[in-house]
Amino acid sequence: MRFTIFQDSRLGDRKGNEDRVGYSYSRDVLLMVIADGMGGHERGEVAAEIAVNEITRRFRQEARNRLRRPFEFLVSAIQSAHRAIVSHAVEHNLLECPRTTCVACIVQNGRAFWAHAGDSRLYILRSGTLIAATSDHSKVQQMIDAGEITAEAASRHPDRNKIFSCLGGVVPPVIDTGQDVALEVGDTVMLSTDGFWAQISAGVLGSMLRKQTVVDLLPGLLTEAQRRAQGESDNLSVVAMTWENQDDPRVADTQSMDDTEFATSTNTTEQLDSKGAVIAEDVTDEDIERAIAEIQSAIKKVPR
Amino acid sequence: MPQQANQPLPAGYVLNGYRIEKPLSSGGFSIVYLARDETGTPFAIKEYLPSSLPLRTEGVEVQLTDESNVAMFRHGLKCFFEEGRALAMISHPNVVRVENFFRANETCYMVMQYVRGRTLQFHIQRHRHEFTEAFIRRIFIHLMNGLREVHSSKLLHLDIKPANIFIAMEGRPVLLDFGAARITLSEEAMKLKPMYTAGFAAPEHYRFKPEELGPWSDIYSVGATIYTCIAGTPPQAGDQREEKDRIIPLRTLARQEYSEDLYQIVDDCLQLEFMKRPQTAYELQRRLMNEPGSEKRGFLETINRPLSKLFSR
Repeated sequence: MRFTIFQDSRLGDRKGNEDRVGYSYSRDVLLMVIADGMGGHERGEVAAEIAVNEITRRFRQEARNRLRRPFEFLVSAIQSAHRAIVSHAVEHNLLECPRTTCVACIVQNGRAFWAHAGDSRLYILRSGTLIAATSDHSKVQQMIDAGEITAEAASRHPDRNKIFSCLGGVVPPVIDTGQDVALEVGDTVMLSTDGFWAQISAGVLGSMLRKQTVVDLLPGLLTEAQRRAQGESDNLSVVAMTWENQDDPRVADTQSMDDTEFATSTNTTEQLDSKGAVIAEDVTDEDIERAIAEIQSAIKKVPR
Repeated sequence: MPQQANQPLPAGYVLNGYRIEKPLSSGGFSIVYLARDETGTPFAIKEYLPSSLPLRTEGVEVQLTDESNVAMFRHGLKCFFEEGRALAMISHPNVVRVENFFRANETCYMVMQYVRGRTLQFHIQRHRHEFTEAFIRRIFIHLMNGLREVHSSKLLHLDIKPANIFIAMEGRPVLLDFGAARITLSEEAMKLKPMYTAGFAAPEHYRFKPEELGPWSDIYSVGATIYTCIAGTPPQAGDQREEKDRIIPLRTLARQEYSEDLYQIVDDCLQLEFMKRPQTAYELQRRLMNEPGSEKRGFLETINRPLSKLFSR
């Protein structure tokens, strides 16, 4: 795979950064993930950190070769991140379970697959145009969908930060998956938190990406996004990848990696102790049949 | 009890040779039915059906429409298998017996021996004022026989509480619901999410440090269960007690006279430090059998007496 990748997370005008962002790739598969820990909830950054660490950990465990079912992987990894957050809260006797949004994207075989919960976004931009995007799990998005308010009014709506799906909540997250997209040369897949997307529209982003690469453009655009928030900027995070000409020798090719190697980069502060995290391996039909056979043989063996 | 949003199987439905009569109870992960086989023998059949997932709104087949639900459903199945494995290994009059285990309707079923009677919880709510010391000792001495069997099979029950102890018509206590049971020393089982009931779970259970869990964790729950028999309410939850221990002394809650020895047994079982508790079910059983003051009651004498007589003073 040949691609160019950029990520950054900025504090904005806040005291702490509750955003976590990361990517990881092997020879054939790329993962990008962003989590926005929720302010107002105890230790939002803990939830975001667990989410990025857990999803990255699952990726490194399962993506040595191409993923057989990328959507299933994404959903199951996000769910195990949710459970890990809940377990963390139980283990540390937290009064309130920390929460976070999450959006994660897998690229393999030249196709992008993604899943999300909450209002962190994924955009796919092609030739300056938005060709795919997540739909926020937010109250204002529901109002827009119902035709009650315009997108313009939503950006100023007092409830614009209210979301109905997140990891770490009392109810399991609503996780939506997108229709996978076959990437063309020059396509950019970008994940961002609301601190960024609320200030920079997809239209602006698209037109600027026609002239500049993600690596050249995004550092300045992050600064611009913070400036636009006029001293009240939320944490801002992006991770963006541009799909390159797969035959262009000037762009690094993951083909040079050996098949057990992973390149990983995140802004998480520590590798959290994964003990206590609930690890749900996929249970297959064969596992079920085997368990039943074992139980039945045990029933027969023990004298009644 | 969590609401079951899912439809129970209809009466008369024939499931793998068992005819369903009616639902007996439903919980967070299952529905239990009364059913009979061809010969008319009654059984309790437990159907795996997590109440949080909308799985059966009509018909009998469990339908997994959402792919995100599939993973959750199957993860929960693991716990159901743990319960099946745990029970299949034990055959003891004080532990509910599992007779069959099979797959149907896109989910799994566990067929258990049907015991006529009521849960200890029911008796606490209705007859607590009649719980004599002799009755309490008798019930728990017998229950310890079952728990010894459980522990000697390298299992921990981990959810002992009045609702999970059945008192059969003839007065025999039967340990039920091994949904939280774990095979100790098995990595796999220990990874599963801990389940517990506030008030009955030992403090180390909340911390979910597998290496701290042991027979003493079940002993704590037994202590909390005896406490509830006397007090009518469970003790303060173990995790809260560790922060600030405000457990109400049992002596002040008793509605009738119990011996100092019994209070001491309960206190010892409810020690926050697990090393200070009776370490085995056998040790606890010995202490329960050693009723001071009263002339020694023959152990065998207590078996097979009708429940009504057990209550009488």
